[in-house]
Amino acid sequence: MAMAETPHLLLVDDERSIREPLAQYLTKQGFRVTQSGDAESARARLNAYSIDLVILDIMMPGEDGLSLCRHIRATSEVPVILLTAKAEETDRIVGLEIGADDYVTKPFSPRELAARIKVVLRRADSGGARQNGPDASAFSFAGWVLKTAERALVDREGVTVALSSGEYNLLHVLVTRPRQVLTRDQLLDLTQGREAAAFDRAIDNQVSRLRKKIEPDPKNPQIIKTVWGGGYTLAAEVTRL
Amino acid sequence: MSRSLLPKSLPGQLMLLVAILLFVAQAINFALLLNGRRQLRTAQFTIPAVNRVLDSVEALRLGQPIDDRRGIRQSNIGPLPAIPPHHHDAEALEKMLRKALNDNGYQPGIIATRIAPSRAGPRPPTAQKRPRLRRSINELRIAVELPERGWLNIRAPWPGNDNFIFWQLIFQTAIIYMVMLIPMFWIGRRIARPLGHLADAARYFDPSRPAAPVAERGPGDVRAVIAAFNQLSERVTAMLDEKDRMLGAIGHDLRTPLAALRVRIESVEDDGDRERMAAIIEEMNRTLEDILSLARLGRPSEAASDVDLAALVDAVVEDFRDLGADVSAEEAPRTRIRLRPSLMRRAIRNLIENAVKYGGGAEVRLIDDGARVNIEIADRGPGIPSDRMADVFDPFTRLESSRNRDTGGIGLGLALARAIVREAGGDIVLANRDGDGLIATIRLPRG
Repeated sequence: MAMAETPHLLLVDDERSIREPLAQYLTKQGFRVTQSGDAESARARLNAYSIDLVILDIMMPGEDGLSLCRHIRATSEVPVILLTAKAEETDRIVGLEIGADDYVTKPFSPRELAARIKVVLRRADSGGARQNGPDASAFSFAGWVLKTAERALVDREGVTVALSSGEYNLLHVLVTRPRQVLTRDQLLDLTQGREAAAFDRAIDNQVSRLRKKIEPDPKNPQIIKTVWGGGYTLAAEVTRL
Repeated sequence: MSRSLLPKSLPGQLMLLVAILLFVAQAINFALLLNGRRQLRTAQFTIPAVNRVLDSVEALRLGQPIDDRRGIRQSNIGPLPAIPPHHHDAEALEKMLRKALNDNGYQPGIIATRIAPSRAGPRPPTAQKRPRLRRSINELRIAVELPERGWLNIRAPWPGNDNFIFWQLIFQTAIIYMVMLIPMFWIGRRIARPLGHLADAARYFDPSRPAAPVAERGPGDVRAVIAAFNQLSERVTAMLDEKDRMLGAIGHDLRTPLAALRVRIESVEDDGDRERMAAIIEEMNRTLEDILSLARLGRPSEAASDVDLAALVDAVVEDFRDLGADVSAEEAPRTRIRLRPSLMRRAIRNLIENAVKYGGGAEVRLIDDGARVNIEIADRGPGIPSDRMADVFDPFTRLESSRNRDTGGIGLGLALARAIVREAGGDIVLANRDGDGLIATIRLPRG
């Protein structure tokens, strides 16, 4: 699927008060949006249309979003973004475990959602068959484990090392693209999809803060390496957990 | 005996009570038995002895010979030994003899009695007939002075001392103690052990971790209490489940219109207006999360884990700095502690937020003194009047009288922060700074 075409989104939410204005907004942002008020009609539309991405509310009467997400993952490669509430953290973890690509927390900024949709679509597009893969509930690299639902880093001894939102977003971008050289612009662009926190501060600053937390010797970094003239790269083997 | 020496447990108290009661009962028995023996002695030994004295005196008067083999003889010398040692029945016996002699028309002089160990020799026939009294190895010696006829000395059998009865009684008591107290101890334990389990179950009742019901054991009454407790804990757990469901529904029902509103305001043309609206929605959402967290805190869903507290504080500070707030922090070494990270993060965030809101900025320090870890959050604001220090922790309390939306919040932040820290076993202490400003300190116990 080429990005030049208008991406076709399927928006599944039982709340009309959210679904309709959101569909309107996303249409204005240049997407084609098909709406669906429950899991059953969503299945029908998934079969009827060539959908590029599904936006899925977790809490729905009848068959819930998680069950539908599982069904989508079992039958197709269509990326899924979950709409969750903060209180439903366990649902979020389950959602990522069963293969959702991302999530936003209600109430969310439609701009942020649009940005993430673009990131996920680009990711699906660039790698073709989900090469970068959906988000995972945890990534393991160089002795560390990055937990996505808790947005926390756990060391070898099992001690949680908290990250600021900016640090987390940057590290998340890096571990989902190991051994790829990412320029500062690319990093800014990729982290923008996340919460508003990261943009104000220079990427360099975030990188040096991250190095202080995860490198055994921050002055001689071995995990996040600087590529002269290029940018940064995560020089470690990453395992999805 | 000091009170602390008294047993506190049910089996101990039961056994002590039964032991005391048994002892009293045995003492009464013992007294009755001794009295009975005295009466027996009178009937079996004293009366025959008196009769024999009377017979002998009568025989002497009639000039008949006295049968020496029966331990009676007449002599002209006094009683042997002359001064009889005291024994406790002597007076009664002497009185009885004198009365009997007087009744028969004799006027005896001195009457002396003495108990002595039996001499080897012919046993008095009365003693041989009764095997139970084989131990009566003593003899009673009576000396009666008959005026003008000299002394009449009589030897009569007399039961041995009562020591053996005493030992018999102790032996008997010991057996009764054993027979009674061992089952008593068993019964006491049978009641006390399930009660102990029940007490433990009540003490460590944790609604967030459903425990197996306490096994119904022991006597019926105890079983009934345990069954009632199990039902109670089930009801409490069910109520808390219901509360959680209700809070979830409230959260969902309030978040949905907020989310709808948040989507709708994207169509507002004026950037400034839209941003203010978004900020208000964000704040309402935060307040909602605070209320729900506070309501759920009795049963937190997040598990405690090992956390680097220095990194946690640093992450919160960094989030504020990313948003442009004037928050500075001293770098601290890795500080490993066990707590619920998301909740503690929220507590720290609420305190820094207050400092930024009321004091224009915050200086954060982490101090580890080995036994405790303190997180100090200082600001340069107006501080808090000392008489209002306690009030600020009350939910929905704010110090300014106006509920100005600009300063935001409804005063839930501090209440939630303290509830979180207390749940972790610590506390929050507020103090005014020398000069200006306030220091809020989160104190957390180590380990």
